[in-house]
Amino acid sequence: MATALRTHSVGRVLLHRVTLTYLIVALLWVVAGVLKPGFASAGHLRYLLELAAVMGIVAAGQTLVIIAAGIDLSVASVITFSAMMLPLLSPAGDPSGLAGVAATLLLTTAVGTLNGLGIVLLRVHPLILTLATATILQGALILIAGGSAISVNNPAVVFLGNGKLLGWPMTIVTWLVLGSLVTALLHATVLGAWLFAIGTNDRASRLAGVAVGPALVAAYAISGFCAGLGGLLLLGMNRQGYVGIGEPYLLGSIAAVVLGGTSILGGRGSYLGTVAGAVLLVTITALITVVNASAGWRSILFGALILGLLLLSGRDRESR
Amino acid sequence: MTPPVLATREVGKRFYDNVVLRGVGIEIRPGRVHALLGENGAGKSTLINLLSGVLQPDAGAILVDGQERRGLTPAEARRLGIAVVQQELSLAPHLSVAENIALGAMPRRGGFIDYGQLAHGAGQLCARLGLDVPLDLPVERLPLGQRQLIEIAKALWRRPRVLILDEPTSSLSAHEVRTLFGLVRALRATGVAVLYISHRLNEVLELCDWVTVLKDGVVTADQSLEGSDPKALVRLMVGREAGDLFPPRGTGGEGKLALAAHGLVGESLRGLDLELRYGEVLGLGGLLGQGQEETLRALYGDLPLRGGEIRVDGRTRRAASPGRSADAGIAYVPADRKREALLLPLPIRYNLVLPALRRLATHGLRRRVREAITAASLIREFAIKANDPRDAAQLLSGGNQQKIAIARWLPLSPRVLLLNDPTRGVDVETKREIYARLRRMADDGAAVLLLSSDTLELVHLCDRVAVQRDGRIVAELDRGRLSEEAIVRASLGMAA
Repeated sequence: MATALRTHSVGRVLLHRVTLTYLIVALLWVVAGVLKPGFASAGHLRYLLELAAVMGIVAAGQTLVIIAAGIDLSVASVITFSAMMLPLLSPAGDPSGLAGVAATLLLTTAVGTLNGLGIVLLRVHPLILTLATATILQGALILIAGGSAISVNNPAVVFLGNGKLLGWPMTIVTWLVLGSLVTALLHATVLGAWLFAIGTNDRASRLAGVAVGPALVAAYAISGFCAGLGGLLLLGMNRQGYVGIGEPYLLGSIAAVVLGGTSILGGRGSYLGTVAGAVLLVTITALITVVNASAGWRSILFGALILGLLLLSGRDRESR
Repeated sequence: MTPPVLATREVGKRFYDNVVLRGVGIEIRPGRVHALLGENGAGKSTLINLLSGVLQPDAGAILVDGQERRGLTPAEARRLGIAVVQQELSLAPHLSVAENIALGAMPRRGGFIDYGQLAHGAGQLCARLGLDVPLDLPVERLPLGQRQLIEIAKALWRRPRVLILDEPTSSLSAHEVRTLFGLVRALRATGVAVLYISHRLNEVLELCDWVTVLKDGVVTADQSLEGSDPKALVRLMVGREAGDLFPPRGTGGEGKLALAAHGLVGESLRGLDLELRYGEVLGLGGLLGQGQEETLRALYGDLPLRGGEIRVDGRTRRAASPGRSADAGIAYVPADRKREALLLPLPIRYNLVLPALRRLATHGLRRRVREAITAASLIREFAIKANDPRDAAQLLSGGNQQKIAIARWLPLSPRVLLLNDPTRGVDVETKREIYARLRRMADDGAAVLLLSSDTLELVHLCDRVAVQRDGRIVAELDRGRLSEEAIVRASLGMAA
């Protein structure tokens, strides 16, 4: 009997889950601050947020894609691609470095668009298509960059990674701006509403007149843009780029999305949750680094913690 | 009279504060076809779930062969010979016809499945049901009607003493219904007790011997069906004079050409011609699976065509997609509302504005207030029974969900409405509301194309009926020649 299933509105449940993730973050900060003085200092927390900014920006595109019941496995390669291509795309005659930034972001957005077009037009499952894209990009990088590390002197990128605006680190400012835009896109635009519809039931959405193809292409294009931007931030923060710089962000971006309460099956979620997920991930990473253990054990601990947290907060409890 | 094989004594069931059944007694006897009637939400499904051990009663008792059974489980019910054919199909789509029929009760020899015996038994059952399909075909490749028959074969496989059929004919063609009726009568003759749930009153009158009517969880009638007529049954169900189910016809048929299909060739379509005019309700009938659904999908732009052309308002349509059609004022109401129309986990309000989202927005930005007002007015206008428009659509009853599937197109003021069996599995009262709505839209100048498996609906609601057979329109019956016989004859390929 349907009436027995009465639940709270979707929004309320979501809010609850997101709140939970934020509470876990706050708890971790307090506990770590007590156990290890200096962890909860303003400077260290701001550093954590800067690290979370890259994760949060990459996971922003991933959120859109996952809400539409897709997945983007090419983000790590796109990040590396963006970081490695930037010097090549920065013309010598541009002292501001903005031309290189624009060209790189355009390129990664184009990669995302191709992902979307492939999924929509060739009807290849996103898992396979984006994985193929990742592999192709890695191959292209070997051909172009030859596997060597590069250093950056593009002033725009250095500013993005290290600069400050009104006392705020540019990484966090960039994250705030992008985060607001993505939140607005999800909840205040027709495109956002369509992504939720497509993630819930793409056939029904199509029959209701939703432009499923263009909406999906847009989501993957935005994901390409976000990964490209993440790559530039990372490059600016490290002041150097190398093959594999993007690697931690593949699983990381997906985990941030799911930890934030977005359903991996699509149709339900929010960017606010992803933000919490990103901060949580970075916090755990920092805590584990503090633990005195070999790299192997740290990795195992990290994986186990993610799994535990997912069981605790992000699990899909509603049965359909 | 033979004693009942399955009965309830004063059973009650509630879900939280919601009393669904109260003091219900029903006696199902061998060799009798017993109809269970009631509007959606009257408690029929709950009663079936109690009888088959899926749910436990809060009060009263379930009796099998006169003995009280406490804590009856589905497995126990099956062992006692109670078989249920559910309205929602429960087949394993990738398994073959034969495997589905014997699912959970495979004939075995030495620990392995005895495929010889399986094929033999399944083949016999298919033959009895008039089902001519390869036994090794995956079920997902079959049309809905045949899947429904396999569901029935699955129930018969265990040689039940009580067979509960929940809306078995809603996806069957007229011919398949005949075969099923023959089978049910044969089962009755061998002493099987049949409980038959249907919204189609003429079927109930034709097949059943006894009727129990539920209304709001209480039995309001329990009597022989001898000498009853449809009006009396409707009165029992609705609790008041139902009047005519169908609205009076307008002057339709003289409007301008809205859609014209010429020589359509594609999946299941073999050179189909069809003309739909503004102001008319055109029925689309025929046996099930003759390409009627494909016709609607082609007109809506959801089916790739290999040949032929479609004209909208006299202009040839080039690129077609559901999105473009919706923009051009063509609306489509799919048959399978749960899978193709509604976004079940999303709010009712969201479902109501989905097709019109872009129209309601400004420059791609949603206008929440406008959306809420639109949804609220649709809920009022269609009398959709929703507690809170923010609730998930899956909480609504089937009839209310179907209303959403139609209502959500209204904000776009569609000029052409393509409906795929919109009253399937819907209660009488909702049916009447839908009929009135369709007629009013046609009177207001819209062109309505109604694909229906209910012949009564085609005869009494439509201005004109096109009968499709083998991917073509084989007959067009205008009002003067419209009758159940004429439709059935044309469906079977006989001269009109």
